[in-house]
Amino acid sequence: MSVKQWSANRAMWGQNLRQIGWIAIIHWLLWLAAIVLPMALAYSQYDPKVGNIPQWYSVYDIANGMEALCAWLVPILAAAGVVRYMHEKRSADFIHSLPIRRTELLAGQMLIGWLFLAVPLVLTALVAIGCLYGLDLPWPIGAGDVGRWLGETLVVETMIFALGVMVGVLVGQSIVHIVLTNIALFFPTGIMVLLFSNLPLWLYGFPDGYYLSGNLMDWALPIRYKMLTDQAMSAGEAGLLLLLSLLFFGVSIWLYERRPTEAAGQALAFSVLRPLFVYGVAFCMCLTGGFYFGQVQRQWGWIIFGYVAFSLIGYAVAQMVVMKTWRVFHKWKGYIAFAAVMSVLFLTVRLDPVGYVRHVPNLSDIEKVYFGQSVMNWQNPNLMEREFEAFDQFLRTKDNIKAVRALHAQLVHDQPLPSRFGNVRPIVIGYVLKDGTRLLRRYEVPIEPYMLYFQRIMGSNEYKQQYYLLLRPSYSPIRQVTIRNVETGRPVVVLADPKEIESFVQALKQDLWNEPVEDIIRGGSTWQGDIELLQSDGDSFTVPLSSHSTHVREWLQQQHHWEQIQKR
Amino acid sequence: MIQLVDVTKTFDRFAAVKGANMMVPKGAIYGLLGPNGAGKTTLLKMMAGILRQDRGTIAVDGEDVWENVRIKQRLLFLPDFVYFFPHATIRQMADFYEQLYPSFSRGRFLELQSVFALDPNKKIQQFSKGMQRQAAFWLAFSVRPDVLIMDEPLDGLDVFVRRHVKQLLIDEVVEREMTVVISSHNLRELEDLCDIVGLMAQGTVRMERDLNELRAGMHKLQAAFRGGFPSELAERLDIVHREERGSIVLLIVRGEKRRIEETVRAFHPLILDVLPLSLEEIFMYEMGGDAHVRETVVG
Repeated sequence: MSVKQWSANRAMWGQNLRQIGWIAIIHWLLWLAAIVLPMALAYSQYDPKVGNIPQWYSVYDIANGMEALCAWLVPILAAAGVVRYMHEKRSADFIHSLPIRRTELLAGQMLIGWLFLAVPLVLTALVAIGCLYGLDLPWPIGAGDVGRWLGETLVVETMIFALGVMVGVLVGQSIVHIVLTNIALFFPTGIMVLLFSNLPLWLYGFPDGYYLSGNLMDWALPIRYKMLTDQAMSAGEAGLLLLLSLLFFGVSIWLYERRPTEAAGQALAFSVLRPLFVYGVAFCMCLTGGFYFGQVQRQWGWIIFGYVAFSLIGYAVAQMVVMKTWRVFHKWKGYIAFAAVMSVLFLTVRLDPVGYVRHVPNLSDIEKVYFGQSVMNWQNPNLMEREFEAFDQFLRTKDNIKAVRALHAQLVHDQPLPSRFGNVRPIVIGYVLKDGTRLLRRYEVPIEPYMLYFQRIMGSNEYKQQYYLLLRPSYSPIRQVTIRNVETGRPVVVLADPKEIESFVQALKQDLWNEPVEDIIRGGSTWQGDIELLQSDGDSFTVPLSSHSTHVREWLQQQHHWEQIQKR
Repeated sequence: MIQLVDVTKTFDRFAAVKGANMMVPKGAIYGLLGPNGAGKTTLLKMMAGILRQDRGTIAVDGEDVWENVRIKQRLLFLPDFVYFFPHATIRQMADFYEQLYPSFSRGRFLELQSVFALDPNKKIQQFSKGMQRQAAFWLAFSVRPDVLIMDEPLDGLDVFVRRHVKQLLIDEVVEREMTVVISSHNLRELEDLCDIVGLMAQGTVRMERDLNELRAGMHKLQAAFRGGFPSELAERLDIVHREERGSIVLLIVRGEKRRIEETVRAFHPLILDVLPLSLEEIFMYEMGGDAHVRETVVG
């Protein structure tokens, strides 16, 4: 940078300080309020005799969510501040008539905007460390925690700011800038959620939950920031975010050199973006409509209505934003084209050229099947073993593999689309094939028409045995049994004698073996009390005492406990 | 000094400037005339390096203006709606200009304070529109640019200030050979100021004329002849317009004044007056067939 150029930038910096320096001050005050103020409060309330030390495990625990808001909104505000000059016609003309090259101008703006974020953060960290070591209290956190917070917050704020600057160069109005930056921030997560939750409508049996349960939320920085309490940022993640920030800064400058000055006041600065924006909004709204009506009203008429109505609204609103008028109704041809393309896309996927929907593996290829109601345990089978009632299971016997496969084939054939409010159960079917291939499907199944299939699978010895902890071959020994009154909930029978417990548990096991599948699914029997079992490892679990618990009842009657339990 | 070749600028689908050519010599005051919507502002903003042309070249001293710091440091643009930073005072704006323009003269700034009589420590936004424009002139003259480009600058100034500003402009041009481009939709406003006038309409510069040449090259005659206007004389003069008022004939003639006079005297006129032509008249006759331009400039 030459001396003259430096002087030019200094002039702009001075101007920025006067015009938007308040952002830095607000930023600092917010962080002080979020982190340092609670420290001061904790100190003033601290009583060494009581020992009321604040329960903080990291800096993120101090502010209760305010810090996420800070790290999310202030960088966007800073980005809006430093590029505002190009969003207003007169100032855009003025600034661009000055003898400063665009590259240096924007680089200078980005640097000062970033300093508005970084300097208050560093100052806050210094004050916080000063408090931790200056105020006499056995603080649960130290300088290391503050350091982690400073580093992570700086990375997240830098990334949001960089994204904000890039969006700012792409648009021509400050309002559009702020709205679009927020959308861009949540876009990766949002679009994936929309796509995955629409796919079950397009591809019958698509296990949306399996894809939605992953680390999709990490992709939305404000949400990721909120999770930093429990899950610190790895060096790799920080590096990736910083790299992305640098990329956004670079792209911003590249775009700015090509950005027409007359874009000030327009919604979008580059004319090529307009169709992209209009059809992009129409597409996202279309998916939102399908998502909403797919969840609420599972009828094809309503779902298609959702697709059409939402995409039409999205298309019209986007056109209004781009054209800066609400008279956009002569632009209907573009929507017709969009609808045609979407219809073709939808029909192509529905026709299922790769056979995703109809595919049921050959019996001879299957090593084991997964049958359950959640996709969660598909990846983590060891979690199932700890559950007291394991609905989700891997089944290996030939009979059960056959039974699950038969249900799957029937579902693929019928393709039921039951209303959400009926007697419906999510069913997840997975296969692990002998060659290691895995296949997962999820269905919403109405219970009654398929009860026979459920009875065949869930009534099997293999399933029952894995279902109840008590029926599994190994569980920690039972040390105590407590039976509570149905009305009062008070313990009326307590068994602690190992022999007594043994004979009681045998009776209980008999009942569990005999429990009808309908009861497991619907819980149809009458509840008559709770049986609480305490294990040797300190865990306890509860089995309902129901009208089907005939062996338990007999046992209790023999021991003359039954009356106490039934007493009202 | 400033040369525009085949400059074109399109906004979305609206062509604001279509293949404009223009030439401004060093030390000239160039008046860019044209009706509203002719593309004057767009052309000036391109000249100032604010907008980028789609096609053609814009050069100052042979160098492209776009993103050229060296050229832009010598060039100042005064828009039709002047802009100052929010809450800025004249003094703050002067500090800003001083850091950006090496030619800025603190001495000149202080000197001009007596001319404009504005409080430099008051927020400019609290000034009236006319005062804000004066502030802009004050700052512009303090920058002492080599090229001053102004878009309808005299609008909203009272007669007194207007005279002052015009005088300052002329002084700068005479003393430092400053080059000035000034746009207006009003010919009369530029008459006593410009050396060259360019006429702009529908996105192109229709014609460009040196005013002194124009004035020297067209004359109004009032003459009377015994026995009526001799037809032989009509053939020997380049007559643009002829009008008979009784025995007196009124002629607008193109050519050198002395030669015209000699030619007419050879026919022994009873009366012969050579009258000055106003700029308006010159343009009216010069434009001849270009009715659209004529109407907008003169009407």
